[in-house]
Amino acid sequence: MMFLSIERITGIFKDFRPKSISVPFPSEVTPGVQEASRRNRGSLQLRHLDAGSCNGCEMEIASMTSPIYDVERFGIKLEASPRHCDGLLVTGPVTRNMSGPLLKTYEAVPQPRVVVALGDCALDCGVFKGAYGVEGTLGDILPVDLEIPGCPPEPASIITALRGLVGR
Amino acid sequence: MKINLLALTSILGMAGAIAGAITTQKLRKWLSSLFGIATCVSGLVAAIEVLHSNHPMIFQSNKILVLSGYSLQLDRFGALFVASGAVVGIASMIFRLGYSGHGLASRTASFVLPLFVMTLLLVPAATNVTTFLFLWEIMAIASLLLVLVDHRKRPEVSNAGQWYGVMTHLGAASILIGFVLLAIYAKSQSFASMEATAHHLPSWVRTSSFFLLLIGFGSKAGLVPLHVWLPKAHPEAPGPVSALMSAAMVNLGLYGVVRVGLGILGGGPTWWWLTVMALGALSAMFGSLHSATSTDLKRLLAYSTTDNIGLMFLGVGAAGLFQSTGHQSLALIALVAALLHMAFHALFKGSLFLSASSLQQATGSRDLDSLGGLLSKMPVTGTIFLIGSLSIAALPPLCGFVSEWLLLQSMLHGLPSSNPSLAIAMPVGVGVLALTGGLTALTFVKAVGIGILGQARSKPANDAHEVRPTMWVGAGLLSAMCFLFGVAPFLVIPSVINSSKELIGTNVANPLVGGWQVGLLGNQGAIEPGLLAFLIVVFVAIIGGLRKLIQAPSVRRAEAWGCGRETQTSRMEYTATSFGEPVVRVFEDVLSPSHNLDASQLSESRYYVEAAHFHTSLDDAFERRLYRQAAAGLRWWGSNARRLPNGSIHRYLMFGMVALVVVLVALG
Ligand code: SF4
Repeated sequence: MMFLSIERITGIFKDFRPKSISVPFPSEVTPGVQEASRRNRGSLQLRHLDAGSCNGCEMEIASMTSPIYDVERFGIKLEASPRHCDGLLVTGPVTRNMSGPLLKTYEAVPQPRVVVALGDCALDCGVFKGAYGVEGTLGDILPVDLEIPGCPPEPASIITALRGLVGR
Repeated sequence: MKINLLALTSILGMAGAIAGAITTQKLRKWLSSLFGIATCVSGLVAAIEVLHSNHPMIFQSNKILVLSGYSLQLDRFGALFVASGAVVGIASMIFRLGYSGHGLASRTASFVLPLFVMTLLLVPAATNVTTFLFLWEIMAIASLLLVLVDHRKRPEVSNAGQWYGVMTHLGAASILIGFVLLAIYAKSQSFASMEATAHHLPSWVRTSSFFLLLIGFGSKAGLVPLHVWLPKAHPEAPGPVSALMSAAMVNLGLYGVVRVGLGILGGGPTWWWLTVMALGALSAMFGSLHSATSTDLKRLLAYSTTDNIGLMFLGVGAAGLFQSTGHQSLALIALVAALLHMAFHALFKGSLFLSASSLQQATGSRDLDSLGGLLSKMPVTGTIFLIGSLSIAALPPLCGFVSEWLLLQSMLHGLPSSNPSLAIAMPVGVGVLALTGGLTALTFVKAVGIGILGQARSKPANDAHEVRPTMWVGAGLLSAMCFLFGVAPFLVIPSVINSSKELIGTNVANPLVGGWQVGLLGNQGAIEPGLLAFLIVVFVAIIGGLRKLIQAPSVRRAEAWGCGRETQTSRMEYTATSFGEPVVRVFEDVLSPSHNLDASQLSESRYYVEAAHFHTSLDDAFERRLYRQAAAGLRWWGSNARRLPNGSIHRYLMFGMVALVVVLVALG
C-alpha cells in the first residue's frame, strides 16, 4: 500500500503550489525615504486608510498580501490600530467626508511617522479631479513622504516602493 | 475604683440612644454619633485589655434581665470580634458626621444607631442564652430600622426590609431552638455549663443543635443559600449602616458558628465540618460570581461580602476538620487565618462601603454605568476606594494579601494527608480560593476601572466634588489600617493566635513564624510583607526615576483612538455590563440571566424594525428558584387553608373538640 501514501498524493500537487514572485528593490530613493528606512530598520506597520478611492487600489493592496506577492516577507504589515503603526497608507482623493477622520487617524499615529500616497487619485485626485465631493489631494492636507503612481498601481510596484521605506 | 468597661460600653450606648431621641435635630446627629464613638472606644479598650491579659472581663447584673441576669464575659476569642467591630464603628460614626444622604438624621435613626453599635460590641461578650438573644434581637431590629429609614422615598427599601426582617427572624428562631436544645440537657442557660455537659450529650442533640445554630448564624452571616436578604438590604441601607452591617454584623454570624461548633460543643465529627466547608465554598463562588457581574456598586460590595464570608467559613471548616482528624496545630493555623481574614475584611470592606457611599452622595447614583472619572474629581475618596479594592483583591502590601495567603497556606498544609476527607476537601478548598481570587480581581478591576477611572458617564458624575473631610477621615482611617497591618501584620497576628487558642486549646504549639515574617515554621514559603512593601516602593522609585531620565522631552497627547469618529462620547466607553458579560456567558448555567428583546416593526413592512429594546437582568438564582417557589407554596397552602373556617359555628366547635381529643391522646 505504500504507493498510496498521503505524501505521494499531496506530492503531485506540490509543484502547483504558487511561488512568490521576486520584487526588485527601488532603483532610487528620495532622501526622506532613506531617512525613514534607517528608522524603520526592516519592519514597517502601516494603517491603510481609504480617503475616497474607487476601491481599485484596495484590490491591489489586498493582492499584495497574497502568497504570490507576499509583502510580509519584507517586514511590511497592515495593522488595524494606528497606535501600533509607523505610518499611513492612503488611497483615493481626500473627500469632504473623510478629511476629518484622515486627520484624526494621522494624529493617532505615534511620531515619527510616514505618509504614503497610493494611486493617482492620492497624488493628484486622478479621474476625480474637480468633483464636488473632493476636498483636495493628500498632499494638500498632510506632508507626503512617498508617492506610488498608477491607476491602480500594480502590487509589485507598490511593494517595490514600500521596500524603500523598510530598507530590505 | 476601676470602671468596668463592659458596663461602660452598655451605658454609653444607651446614653447615646437617649441623647439621640430627645435632643434637637442639629444636636442629635452629633450627640448620637459622638456617643457611638465613645461606645466603640470603650469597647475597643476593653477588647485590647482582654487580648493582652489572661483574664476574661466580666460584668453581671440582675437588674436588667430580671429572671436570668444580664451577664457578660468577654474572653479573648470574643474580644477579637469586639475590637474589629469597634474599629469599624468608630470609622462609620466619624463618617456619619459628614454624611447627609438618606434619612439618617431622623429621630428614629439617631435613637437606634448607638444601640446598634452597642449590641454589635456586646453580642460576643454574652454568656447566657437570654443575654445573647436579647442583644442579638436588639441588633437585628436596630439594623432593620436603620435599613428602613428611607422607605418613604424608595419602594425598593421596604422590599429589602421585608426580606431582611423575615430572614433575620427565621434565623433568630433557629438559634433559639438550637440553644434551647442545649440548655435543656445542660439544665442551665449559661454557655459555660452547656460547654461542660456538651460532651455527654446524645449525638442527635449535638448534631441537630449544631445545624440549627449553623442555619441561624449562617443567615446572619449571609451564607449561601441563606444570603438572599444580604444583597438587598446592605445596598439599601444608608452609608454608615451598610458599612457596619457588611463589615461588622456579618462577622457575628461567624462568631456564633465558631463559638458553638468549636467552643461550646468542642468540635464535632468530620462531616459537620465538611458541610461547613462546602457551604463556605459555595458562598465564596456564588458571591464572587455575582459581584463580578453586578453593575450596582453597593450590590457588588454586598455580594463580595458573601464571597469573603464564604472564605472565612472555608477556613473555619478547615479548622474543625483538622481538629476532628487530630491535627491540632493545623487547626490553629486555619482558625487564625479565618479570624485574620475576618478582621481584615472588616477593615477593607468598611472602607469600601464608606467610600462607595461618598461616591453615591457626590453623584446621586450607585450605578457603575453612571459614575466614571471620579478619581480626578474626588481624589481622596477615590484613593481610599482604590486602596480598599487593592486590599480586597489580595495584593501586597495591603492586609487582604496576608490573610488570604495564610488561608491558602493552612489548606496547602493539609494536602499531604492520608485522611481521605482531608485529601479531598483541601485541594477543593485551594481551588475555590484560587477561583474566587481571580473573580475578585476581575470585580475590582471593574469597580475601579468603570467606577472611578475613565470619563464621567453622566452629568452628576461630571459635576461631582470631594465630600466633607469627616467622611473621608472615617473611611481613610480604615484604609490606613489596611496598609499598616498589611506591612506589619505582627501587630495583630499574636492577638489572633491567642484568641484562637482560646478555642483550639492553650497548649497547642504556635506553628507560625514570628516577627516581620508571615508563614509556617519549618517551611520555605514564609513571606515578609514589610520587605515586599519596601521592594515595591523601591521598584516604583526606580521606574519613576528611569522615566524622568529616559523619557523623550516632549510627550504628545492625542485623543483616544475611536476609528476616526467625529465625536466620541462617554457612552462609547466600556460599561460595567459589558465588562462582566464574558463571566455571565461562561457561567450561564449558574447565573441563568434573563434576556428580553422587544422589537416593533414598521407598519409598512414587517422586515424593518422600528424600535428595539433590550433588557437583561441577573437576579439571584436562589431567590428565584428556592425562595419565590417556597413563598408561592406557602401562599397556596394559606389560601387553601382559608376554606376551612367558613363562618359556621358548628364547624368551629368541632375543630375545638378534635384539637382537644388530639391533645388528650398525645399526652395520655
Ligand atoms: S487611483 Fe485609480 S484605482 Fe486608485 S482609487 Fe483612483 S481611480 Fe481608483
